Amino acid sequence: MTVRIYRDKEFELLEGVYDPGDDSFLLVEAALKDIRAGEKVLEVGTGSGVVSFFVKDVTRVIATDINPIACQNARLNGVEVVRTDLFSGICGQFDVIIFNPPYLPTSEDEKLDTWLNRAFDGGPDGRDVIRQFLAGVKRILPIGGRVLTVFSSLTDIDAVAELYRQHGFSVETVAREKVPFEVLVVFKCVRLS
Amino acid sequence: MKKDLMNILCCPVCKGDLELQVTREEGAEVIEGTLYCKQCNESYPIQDGIPNLLPPELR
Repeated sequence: MTVRIYRDKEFELLEGVYDPGDDSFLLVEAALKDIRAGEKVLEVGTGSGVVSFFVKDVTRVIATDINPIACQNARLNGVEVVRTDLFSGICGQFDVIIFNPPYLPTSEDEKLDTWLNRAFDGGPDGRDVIRQFLAGVKRILPIGGRVLTVFSSLTDIDAVAELYRQHGFSVETVAREKVPFEVLVVFKCVRLS
Repeated sequence: MKKDLMNILCCPVCKGDLELQVTREEGAEVIEGTLYCKQCNESYPIQDGIPNLLPPELR
């Protein structure tokens, strides 16, 4: 068990869970800028729970993860968490869905047989989980609802924007950060149809 | 989990309502229990306060 500090708040990190990176904190900042008290918020793939950990000071957040250690980790950080595959056991309607997906292009021989691999592995083009997310998200996101999502130039920013637009979302870049070898981007995607 | 989470939980397979059975609670938190889908005749566990809504084959 390790302790991380951000914005002067300490949170815990368990082994086998994605260690919050630049992408996580870029999403924290974007979420804190965008989300208002009283909004119904769901975080999908919460990992350690870091993003929900900060957003829950603004409004109630429910979080999910498929990794059982991540769920324990999020709960340790005081995050209300459900173990499920993306949002398959979640019903209802949300105003905002926060999503830091597995977004790294991963070939078959690069795959690791660990829960942690699921945090990185976006399939061969990095966009498999994003596609899976988009295939089902409208069940829990009404027209006017929005997705706040972070990913990398390694995932192909234009291709991700195109996926969201194809599914009837508007796409706006609300944060951008250059890090070694990649650019991180946060999209705000509003469901239009 | 807090009991009011029942409002947004559903069977991951059929999306039907689940029935909560509490085995152990601490205040407003359900620590151990089950979530039962009548339609699928499937039970999903709540362990250490965390509901596990993965279908049996994915657990």
